[in-house]
Amino acid sequence: MNSRREFLRSSLALGAALSLSPWRKVDAAEATLSIPSTIPARSVLVAVRDGSRSAMVDQALESLGGIGAFVKPGQTVCVKPNIGWDAPPERGANTHPELVGRVVRLCLEAGAKSVSVFDNTCDQWQLTYEHSGIEKAARDAGAHVVNGKDVSLYREVSIPGGVKLKSALVHSLVLDSDVLLNLPVLKHHSGTGMTAAMKNLMGAVWDRGFYHQNNLHQAIADFLTLRQPDLNLIDAYHPMVRNGPRGKSVADVVEMRTLLVSVDPVAVDAAAAKMLGLDPAKIDYIKIGDAMKLGTMDLSQVEVRRFSLT
Amino acid sequence: MRRPGLKTVRVAVAMFFGTGLTAAFVDFRGAVPAQIGHWLASVQLVPSAVALVMGESLAVLVAIFAATLLAGRIYCSTVCPLGILQDVAARLAGWFRRAPLRLPYRPARNWVRIAFFWVSVTGIAYGFAGLTLSLVDPYSIFGRMAADLFRPIVAFVNNAIVGVIRGLGGEGLYRVDLHWASAGALALPAIILLLVVGLAAWRGRLYCNTFCPVGTLLGFISKRSAWQLSLDPALCRKCGDCLRVCKAQCIDLRAGKIDQSRCVSCYNCIGACEEHGIHHRWSWRRQPSRPAGTADLVADPQRRSFLAGATMAITGSVAAVQLRAGSIGSEVGNADGSVPSASLGRNESPAISPPGSVSVDQFLDRCTGCHLCISACPTQVLQPAFLEYGFAGFLKPRLDFSTAFCNYDCRRCAEACPDTAITLLPLLEKQTTRIGVAHLDLEHCIVKTKGTDCAACSEHCPTKAVDTVPYGNNLRLPQVSRESCIGCGACEYACPAKPRKAIVVVGQRRHSHASRRLEEKAVDPRKGKDFPF
Repeated sequence: MNSRREFLRSSLALGAALSLSPWRKVDAAEATLSIPSTIPARSVLVAVRDGSRSAMVDQALESLGGIGAFVKPGQTVCVKPNIGWDAPPERGANTHPELVGRVVRLCLEAGAKSVSVFDNTCDQWQLTYEHSGIEKAARDAGAHVVNGKDVSLYREVSIPGGVKLKSALVHSLVLDSDVLLNLPVLKHHSGTGMTAAMKNLMGAVWDRGFYHQNNLHQAIADFLTLRQPDLNLIDAYHPMVRNGPRGKSVADVVEMRTLLVSVDPVAVDAAAAKMLGLDPAKIDYIKIGDAMKLGTMDLSQVEVRRFSLT
Repeated sequence: MRRPGLKTVRVAVAMFFGTGLTAAFVDFRGAVPAQIGHWLASVQLVPSAVALVMGESLAVLVAIFAATLLAGRIYCSTVCPLGILQDVAARLAGWFRRAPLRLPYRPARNWVRIAFFWVSVTGIAYGFAGLTLSLVDPYSIFGRMAADLFRPIVAFVNNAIVGVIRGLGGEGLYRVDLHWASAGALALPAIILLLVVGLAAWRGRLYCNTFCPVGTLLGFISKRSAWQLSLDPALCRKCGDCLRVCKAQCIDLRAGKIDQSRCVSCYNCIGACEEHGIHHRWSWRRQPSRPAGTADLVADPQRRSFLAGATMAITGSVAAVQLRAGSIGSEVGNADGSVPSASLGRNESPAISPPGSVSVDQFLDRCTGCHLCISACPTQVLQPAFLEYGFAGFLKPRLDFSTAFCNYDCRRCAEACPDTAITLLPLLEKQTTRIGVAHLDLEHCIVKTKGTDCAACSEHCPTKAVDTVPYGNNLRLPQVSRESCIGCGACEYACPAKPRKAIVVVGQRRHSHASRRLEEKAVDPRKGKDFPF
């Protein structure tokens, strides 16, 4: 049995946690939710290649003013990787665990109060969390790994800026965290052509079926009117170039050793499309995102900072 | 010879099997390795008998019979989870009782026991082996209660606790999906749970000594067991202290005898007798010195019917299974066991059996419906059937793609199954075993009906049997290549079309092999290694 001291300590922690966690932020979150964060006049895209995943993250962030430009001491951070499929890291079906672990560490070093990681997985979630390697990497780095398959953690919010997606059950981490870091993996996708930053946020919503029923591309873009990530970091180390998004084997991935980072989700996806040899204008959700002024797909209007770490 | 330690050993072994099996069945987080449940279930009588008929090891069955012949029905009080459950129920009921329960001796209702036994034997011998065994096997009866009733309740309690302590950070604690089986499939386990627990609270092991054919069979053997409990006429005062603790109502103080066929070897009476008048003794060598004419030595008509019944049960089920196996074998077209696609219509099944079960017919023959696979299944795609397979498949597990789909890299059901009903295939073989085939109806497909992209089916397909082709104005339309479809149900589960899904999996009566298309290493779509922007 626990000692009385332990019991008291855990009761106190429980009380403190209950008094702090979900309700405190509700007002603040809902007040700001409908206003997408403004995109600076000229988007900046950092493209790094030929380094280790960690080295490329460090280089990209240094170019953008360091992690401290995005994460302030005491803030809560939600890291949203792609943890869609029960597949090992080498298959490229999920964001690589090394990248997730590195970003979590950087946030905590910057003084984040807490860092949480989740995804609304497609395959069975415990197996997916485990076999993707992300659960262990995130936990080892000090993050909370949160269930994305628990509907009680989702809240219904209205999305006034949405054309098709006008309301949705959204994971409370996405609604309540001070900072949202979007950590997708670049992949071919048999339904939308490709998946990277914008589409990864589908995993923040409970009912993906609604997207599929109501113009998938429009719904993907609509979500970004609710909340834009504070930063998008696309893992293009070994993108899956066919049979996506689940992939069949390691033969589906091609080593590109690249990381694409931008605040602008449309610009970073446009660059990602080109990595797969696709025309961004042919990917409907990128085109819609550009038309809705969620960002720009015209890379000539974007300040691209290129780094090669050979 | 007095052995006060016997009860302690009995309780310890019973706790081992009871907690082990309960943990395996109520495990809602995949925390208990499937092999543990498999091992604990494989030493149960009926699963090991089914496995034996299928050519598996004889050892377990021989061990159970040998143990019974040596020491009576120790199986019933230490290994059988339904027996253990009744002991727990009786003990719990005792806490709510003002006066301690004192069950007097009752003569055995042998005709009821024989009737139930014979009904079971007849069922097994005449082609309903799978159904009969699943209805009467005490281990499987327990399994269904634990998997279908206890497990969701435990998950519900877990979720309630998580709701309370969520603020603590939630590491290691999370809510789980609650899946209740359909009402039709839940009714029987619920009724039997009430019956068994009610009988146990009222009259101890009445169920085991009235209805259970396993109890009746082992009771027959234990009549002649080597070690037996016996009353010492020199010491017994007929005070009845032993009756207070006897759950089988098998101690006949008036005649000074213990009914060995009903005694479940719980050893409670030894310690209860202050006169030390109950012995646990080796009975065999003393037999010749017994006076001639004792009931034991007279030809026993019951024994004959038993021997005949047991023989019929075993030969009948072997014959039935082999007959059916033969008839199925001759049906299949190709030498490698695969079914030519033209015969798919003939090979259709209304319900889908798990990969490794070879065919629906073989599965229904071998499966005793213990639902250990249902507990082990991480996606919960395995659900107990009501009448989806037909009457013979009542309560047998089926894949329900409205709940989930079969995980491509998972074989936990086969790892758990103690009956050889789901055989453990090598992973690569499991991944090419076709349990059904996806049928796409484009008239209901969202890409066609709404003119927008969707492809949720193709997205989820692990073999890319469901892929997309360019369609209309920059859209992608699903298409199915049946050769590589394994029927895992991911497409059907994911299809968002309403009210009718545009893609559904039709089960295969006899599973077949899907082709695995190996592809060459993908090429870099960029020109050169530099950034293409």
